[in-house]
Amino acid sequence: MNDMQWTPIGSEPLPPPLPPTRVDFTGDRTEFRKMVTKGAMLELVTFGFYRFWLVTDIRRQLWSNTSVDGDAAEYTGRGKELLIGFLFALAILVPIYLAYFLVGIEFERWQGFASTPLFIAFYAFGQFAIFRARRYRLTRTVWRGVRFWMDGSGWAYSLRAMLWGLLVFLTLGLALPWREASLERYKMQHTHFGDLQGDFEGNGWEFFKRGWWLWLLSPIAVVIFPLAPFFYAEFKAREWRWWLNGIRIGGVSLSSDLPHNAFYGLYWKMVGWWLLLSTLFGFYVGGATMLVVTLSGVPAEQLFGPGHAAKSIPMLGLMVIGYFALALAMNVIMRVYLQRDLWAKVLETVAVHDIGAAADVRGSGELASALGEGFADGLDVAGF
Amino acid sequence: MSDVTAGPGAEPKPGQKAIFFDGLSSRRRQVVLTLGDSLEIAEPSDEQADGTVTRWAYDEIRRVDGPAGILRLTSTAAAPLARLEIRDAALSADLVARSARIDEHQTTGRGVAKIVGWSVAAAVSIVCVVLFGVPLAADRLAPLVPKPIERRIGDASEVQVKTIFRGQACNDAAGQAAFRKLVNRLRDAAGLDDDAMTAGVLRTSVPNAFALPGGKVYVLSALLDKAESPDELAGILAHELGHLKHHDNMRGLIYNGGTSFLIGLLFGDVTGSSAVIFASRSVVEASYSREAETAADTFAIEIMHKLGRSPKPAAELMFRITGKEGGSGLATILASHPLTEDRLARMTREDRPASGPPLLTDTEWQALKGICGSGKI
Repeated sequence: MNDMQWTPIGSEPLPPPLPPTRVDFTGDRTEFRKMVTKGAMLELVTFGFYRFWLVTDIRRQLWSNTSVDGDAAEYTGRGKELLIGFLFALAILVPIYLAYFLVGIEFERWQGFASTPLFIAFYAFGQFAIFRARRYRLTRTVWRGVRFWMDGSGWAYSLRAMLWGLLVFLTLGLALPWREASLERYKMQHTHFGDLQGDFEGNGWEFFKRGWWLWLLSPIAVVIFPLAPFFYAEFKAREWRWWLNGIRIGGVSLSSDLPHNAFYGLYWKMVGWWLLLSTLFGFYVGGATMLVVTLSGVPAEQLFGPGHAAKSIPMLGLMVIGYFALALAMNVIMRVYLQRDLWAKVLETVAVHDIGAAADVRGSGELASALGEGFADGLDVAGF
Repeated sequence: MSDVTAGPGAEPKPGQKAIFFDGLSSRRRQVVLTLGDSLEIAEPSDEQADGTVTRWAYDEIRRVDGPAGILRLTSTAAAPLARLEIRDAALSADLVARSARIDEHQTTGRGVAKIVGWSVAAAVSIVCVVLFGVPLAADRLAPLVPKPIERRIGDASEVQVKTIFRGQACNDAAGQAAFRKLVNRLRDAAGLDDDAMTAGVLRTSVPNAFALPGGKVYVLSALLDKAESPDELAGILAHELGHLKHHDNMRGLIYNGGTSFLIGLLFGDVTGSSAVIFASRSVVEASYSREAETAADTFAIEIMHKLGRSPKPAAELMFRITGKEGGSGLATILASHPLTEDRLARMTREDRPASGPPLLTDTEWQALKGICGSGKI
C-alpha cells in the first residue's frame, strides 16, 4: 500500500482507507529572498507602484512550489490586473471620501464629533474588500487544471463581520473565537474547487478552549512587553492549527499538528532584526551628522539650531534616504520570515485526507475581477 | 492495473511520458508525447485502440509557473487551464527549443523598465500637482466657495472647538460691548463685510485665538488674561481677521485634503509609508501654512497702521506666551507658524509711535478683561 502512494499514479481510483497525503513545499529560500530584495528596490524607484507585481511574483512562487498529492498549485493572477483593480477602486473611493467629508460636516454641525461613527462605514467597506480580495485570489488559484472560485456576497459577509465585531467589542474580545468561526464558515461554504463545495468544521468553542488563557494573560504582555512576541506567536500558531483542522473541500479534509511554539523563532528573529536595523539606523544618523558637520564646517548645534533651515537640508535628505533603506530592509525581512518561512512552517505540518475525492472534479467558476484587491489596497486592510 | 499492462516497452519509441490536465476536469492523465509537426498528446487507454489524441501547435505553446524541475506548459488554443507537465529534462529542452513563442507572455526586463518608467512619470506628475497644482487650485477655489457652505463648515468646526475646549462663551454685558467695539473697529479697517463675522470670547485655560470658516473669530480667555493692553489683543485679532480676509481656512482645507490624498496615492503601500506620508505632508503643509501666517501678519500690520497703532505689542504678547521657540532645524521646517522671535523682530521693525486714538478706553479695557467674570480657571 505504502509503495502505491509514492508511484505517480494519482488518477487511479484507489481504495478508500488511505494514509493521509502530505503537502510539500519546495520553494528555494535564497531565490525568494533575492526576489523580494529586488522587488523592494523596484518598489523604491517606482514609489511603491511595483507592489502589484511584487505581490504577484511572491504568490506565483509560493503557489507553484506548493504541491498536494504530488501536483503543484499555480497562481494565474497578474500584476497588471491588480493595478487596474486599484485604479478602479480609486475611482470609486474618491467620491465616497468626498461624500464622507460632506456628511461628516452635517453631523458635526449637529453635535461635536458625531461623525466619528461614520468611520464604522469604512470598516464595513474594509470587510467587503477583504471578502472580494479573497475571491480574486481564489479564482487565480489553480490545481490540476481546475480553479478555485467563490460565490456569496461581499456585503452579506461585511454585515456578519460588523455584527460579530460589535459583539467582540462588547465582550472585550471574548467572543473573538466565535466571530472567526462564523466568518470562516461563511467564507469556506462559499468556496468551491471546481464542483466541490468547501466547508469549515471548526467551531468557536474549540478555539476558545485553545486560547482563553492567552486572553486572560494579555494584560501581562502589555505591562511586560518583551513577552508580547511570545503571546502573539502562541496565539497565531493556535489560530492557524484550529483553522487548518476545520477546512473541508468536498470530501477532502485537512489536519495540522502545528506545535503551539512553532512561530516563536520567526517572531523573535523579526524582533532581533528590527533591533539590529534600528541600531544601524542610529549609527547611520550619527555618522551622517558627523559627515555633514565636517564637510560643511557648520557646527552641530548650529545645524540643528534655529534659522538654518537651508543648511540642514542635506541632513534632512540623508535622513530620508536612511529611513527608506530601513523601511525596505524591514520589508524584505518581513516577507521572508512572515510570508515565506511561515508558509513553509505551516505547510510541513499539514496532512490532506481523502484526496481521492478531488481526483476527478469538473472545472467551473468564473474569474473574479481584482476590484476587491484594489479596495483592500486603497483602504489598507488585509485578510486571509 | 491498466498501467502495468501498458508498460514502457509496449509504447512506440519516440513516445515520452508526461502528465496532462485537460483544463476541464482535475483528472490526472498519464499521456505519451510525440514531437512531430506538432506536439501530439496521446492518452493510452484500454477501450480504444489509439486513445484520445490532442495536438498542440508549437507556436501556441506557452510556459506557465511550475515547481523546479518540472516544465509546465499550456496552449493558447486549448482550454485556458489545460496543463502539460514534463519532468524529463532532455524532453523539456527539446520542446522549449521547438516552441518559439514559449516565453512571449512573460514579464521581461523591458517590461519591468516600462513599469519603472511609467511609475516615475506618474510620481513626477503627482509631485508637480502637489507643489504647483493644488496651491493654485486652493487659491482660486477658496474665494469661490459659496458663503453658506463655508458657514456650514464653520458651524461644524465651532461645535468641535467648543467640545474640545469645553469652553462656554463669556457673556458679561459691559465686556461684550467693549469686545464688540474693538472687533468692529478692526473689521471696518479690514474692510470685511459685516454680516459675515461673529466674534466671542471662550472661557478656557489655553491661551490662543483662532478664526473659523464663515467668519467666526474666537479669543480664548487665557489669552485675554495675559494681554496687558488693547493693542496687544487688537494685533492678534487683526491677524485672525487676516485669515478670514484671505479665506485661509478654505484654502487650507482644499490644500490639506488635496495633498494628503495625492501623497497617500503616491506612496501607497510601501511598509511604514504612513510615517513617510505624515512627514512629507507635514513639511509641505507647514510651509504652506507658514506662508498663510506670514500673510496674515502682513495684514495685521497694515490694519494696525491704518488705525494708527503699533503692531509690536501683539508680537510681545505672543512672545510672552510661547517664549523663544528656536528649536532644531527640523522643527523649523516642520513648524506651521513662523517662529515667534522672527515675528517679534518683524513687528518691531514695523513699530511706529501711536498716531491714532486708543482703541479702547481704560474702562472699556477693564470691562473686556472681566468679560468672563472674575473667576479664574
